[in-house]
Amino acid sequence: MRQFTYLTPKTLDEAISLHVAHGESARYVAGGTDVLVKIKEGKFAPDYLISLKHIIGQDRPFLNQETGELYIGAFCTHGSIEQSPLVQHHYPIIHDAVKNIGSVQIRNVATIGGNLVNAVPSADGAIPLIVLDSKANIYGTKGQRSVDLQRFFLGPGQCDLEAGEILTEIVIPPPLPRTGSAYIKHGRREAMELPMLGVGVLLCLEEDMTTCAKARICLGVAAPTPFRALAAEKYLKGKTVDENNLTEAGRLAGQESKVRDSIRGVAWYRREMVGVLVKRMGLKALERAKERHK
Amino acid sequence: MQNLCSVGKRVPKLDAVDKATGRVKYIQDLKVAGMLYGKILYSKYAHAKIVKINTTRARELPGVLAVLTGDDIPDIRMGVYKDNRPLKKEKVCSFRDEVAAVAATSPEIAEAALKRIEVTYEALPAIFDPEAAMKEGAPLIHEAHKTNVLKMPWKLHYGDVEAAKKEAAHTVEDRFTTTWVTHCCMGTSGAIADFDPANNLTIHTNTQIPSLAQKDFLEALKTMGISDRRVRVVKPCIGGGFGSKLDTYAYEYIAILLAFHTRRPVKIEFDRTEEFIATSTRQPTITHISQGCDQNGKLLFRDIAMILDNGAYTSWGATTPSVMMMPITTLYRVPNVRYEAKCVYTNNTYAQAMRGYGNPQATYAIESTMDMLAEAAGIDPVEFRRINANQPGDVSTQGLRITTCGLTECMHAVKEKLEWDRPRQAGEGIGMASLIHVGGGARVYKSDGCGTIIKMDDFGKIDLFTGATDMGQGSDTVIAQIVAEELGLEVDDIHVIHTDTDVCPWDVGSHASRTTFIAGNAALGAARKLKARILEMGAKLLESPLEKLNLQGRHIVHQDDAEKKMAIGKVLRKAHFSHGGQMLMAEHFYDPANENMGKDFRGNMSMTYTFGTHGVRVKVDEETGKVEILQYVAAHDVGKAINPLLLEGQVYGGVMMGVGYALTEQVISEKGQNMNPNFRDYKILTAKDVVPIKAPVLETYDEDGPFGAKGIGEPGCVPTAPAIANAIYDAVGVRIKELPITPERVLAAIREKKGLDLCGQAVDKGDADECIIEE
Repeated sequence: MRQFTYLTPKTLDEAISLHVAHGESARYVAGGTDVLVKIKEGKFAPDYLISLKHIIGQDRPFLNQETGELYIGAFCTHGSIEQSPLVQHHYPIIHDAVKNIGSVQIRNVATIGGNLVNAVPSADGAIPLIVLDSKANIYGTKGQRSVDLQRFFLGPGQCDLEAGEILTEIVIPPPLPRTGSAYIKHGRREAMELPMLGVGVLLCLEEDMTTCAKARICLGVAAPTPFRALAAEKYLKGKTVDENNLTEAGRLAGQESKVRDSIRGVAWYRREMVGVLVKRMGLKALERAKERHK
Repeated sequence: MQNLCSVGKRVPKLDAVDKATGRVKYIQDLKVAGMLYGKILYSKYAHAKIVKINTTRARELPGVLAVLTGDDIPDIRMGVYKDNRPLKKEKVCSFRDEVAAVAATSPEIAEAALKRIEVTYEALPAIFDPEAAMKEGAPLIHEAHKTNVLKMPWKLHYGDVEAAKKEAAHTVEDRFTTTWVTHCCMGTSGAIADFDPANNLTIHTNTQIPSLAQKDFLEALKTMGISDRRVRVVKPCIGGGFGSKLDTYAYEYIAILLAFHTRRPVKIEFDRTEEFIATSTRQPTITHISQGCDQNGKLLFRDIAMILDNGAYTSWGATTPSVMMMPITTLYRVPNVRYEAKCVYTNNTYAQAMRGYGNPQATYAIESTMDMLAEAAGIDPVEFRRINANQPGDVSTQGLRITTCGLTECMHAVKEKLEWDRPRQAGEGIGMASLIHVGGGARVYKSDGCGTIIKMDDFGKIDLFTGATDMGQGSDTVIAQIVAEELGLEVDDIHVIHTDTDVCPWDVGSHASRTTFIAGNAALGAARKLKARILEMGAKLLESPLEKLNLQGRHIVHQDDAEKKMAIGKVLRKAHFSHGGQMLMAEHFYDPANENMGKDFRGNMSMTYTFGTHGVRVKVDEETGKVEILQYVAAHDVGKAINPLLLEGQVYGGVMMGVGYALTEQVISEKGQNMNPNFRDYKILTAKDVVPIKAPVLETYDEDGPFGAKGIGEPGCVPTAPAIANAIYDAVGVRIKELPITPERVLAAIREKKGLDLCGQAVDKGDADECIIEE
């Protein structure tokens, strides 16, 4: 494996100035579960790895008491998110996703920020966060900016980060009333698995607890980037949430998805599973909404 | 039954702590002073002429000490058919073909040098489908061979199948296919070759066949012009074998050649990608099978024609039909049997031995059609199997002599533990499949022997030198238990040494589930000889008649007189430390009375046979096609469980390997290229996927086995796939005839059964192309 110098800045500003100093010969690294694999495969050949793991304050989820928003630092490991009572209680959909990423060992080092900036179509972490209308906070030489996470992904392996910019945290709006959400990874085994398909559904109900006020459906591996099934979402809005309507929403989501054949799965099967799993996650979201409303 | 102290006990593996704490030395841990690092350049084509190889730029790189191509080496031939060379000359026939090799002072330099080798290829038409490769005019893989069909006449016909077909009341016929799967040893392959100044070779290598490898390497040396020298094979700790180390491989010969050219030790060590791409797989098969029975459900015939994708070269995979003959002729009583197998060259990777040696492929077809035939005959599948079950004393058409046989009891155990008759919920199903496997060695070579040397030190401890190979299965522990039992010692008193051909006696190899039986009998024989001498000395020292003495609790004891006893160590000290003393050492070579196959493939290849039945309860998700295993029962007749703990380990491991084979594992090959050479995309099952397994053990006490034991290394993965396939059929009424049974295949079959297309639409009048499958 190629040799590199490992740098350990303690602040964001220090990290950025190191990046400015070393330019293209430097790369940020957090957990390293993607970066090191790519270095070993020869896809990256950095002279400097700038570790973001020693930067203080971005390593666990916390609730903004004033706004009710949940902040998840980009350098939180999947393991710390999985074990966070805040996440488990208020955002079970995130728990659904992070608890099945890789293995215990991977989750103990890999970070949510790394999962997002890696920007692969199969990123488990992205789907629930998009379903929750999260924003990404980004910090760079020009200061801080914020983008809708949905717009953060530009293509496979490409995200909205300028050279040297760092994804610092994810901001999740406060949970809506009468709302439930759920995520499922569809794969071939129980661990060390990339999804053949990832499906996240959020349903916000009217006061009658049966009519859909707002729906969010986001799919992983169904397109080059995390994919919002807008036609299916639109179909559900104002309709009774039941198995029939969710089946139709699933069908629509399957139709609008851009699934394709790969060694990990064939398009027809993926499209069919979009249908089945949108329905199932819809039913689970409904159940969770009702539970929370009790 | 004897009162046993060590045998039958749940003794943890002797090396368990060292392995768990990282103390054992794998090939990855070994370094030899002055060692260079070898790397191999593989083909960029599935089939191509090598027009030119320019190695100049590679040689120019500082730190590179040798660059070899096919033109630089003598004509060393490898494999059972001698159709392979360590470095290819003139043409390549598969993507895993070794084209050039480098030795350098560091792995990084060697890797960089590979990139500087320029190979000019001229692509040739390639062929990847064995059925197409058999056709007239198909491109030839080896022109000199004149045909792509190997000249290996795997063909037998016992009784009269055609007549039986006419008689049969019920007949089923179908086609089953299996694909490439690979061993996935935790320890990747590697070797260090080292010549002394007189050209004696020491090779540290992961092998299951130290003695045969020694012979292979000696032959290679001869081809290199070095004759009358010694080869010493040293085994590091081996991180898994499963059959993958039953042959000698290009990388071993390349390490030897590089060491010879550089006069320095050379190490070649595979990374995981290389392990996936450049080691061999299980043998893929296409099986046409028909079976028939009479009115009462008695099997009348079994007729099988098989095509094996041999890949570009020939290793043991091509000989798996010899073992498939065992289940084909002898799994259940079947009076008329016909079998023909053709091995066909293609530009794919080539296959090797893998746990079960063809038996899982054959049993998949046999046991799937057993269920189909039971259904056609209107007989319960368990009852149908009971009617046809082998019994002790049977001699099959192939001449296999069944001694002990607990097959019927295994079926009962499965029925009971699985609660076979429990009502099933929607989508739930149960299935069963049985197995026969060699349990008392297997005479595949002229010898089925194993040697043991045993010596006792001044303190009553044993050093035991065996030819057997412990590659993780725990044979050292089992041998130690057997010897401890015989000599009245503790298991800890026995030090088993198996790592070095300079000190260990000859053995034909750790294969065919033979080690407990054969190496166990060899160790037992040596221990008995030693025991006789200890007792003889004891009789004099204790002034007692020999027949009254025994070895127990590290002492010689008198049966009737508790006062008369002496520590074995003391006896030994007296033997060594006296005038006219003697050395307590014994050797034993055990070669069983089993038979080579004759001309018509008849012959009792094993002293005894292991039987077993697996049962499984599954739940099939009819919307996703996913199969969940709710319960798994694997019952085996093992003769005698020498170590129930290790035995269960073998069964659990085997079953999980079998479940992977049945449901998830496959090397995805696109035009001969391995598309998933990593654990991310090669779906070996993980700890989280482990299913609930019960492993009832039936002890039939086989009198030829050490303390009654039969071999149990391979059976765990033999009937797994058909048991699961049968359960899926029971659950949702679809039969999957292709492995692995993926959710896609299950869902497609469910839809087809319902008269729907893949997208769940009714199929009628040209509507089918509404279902758009996007690229």
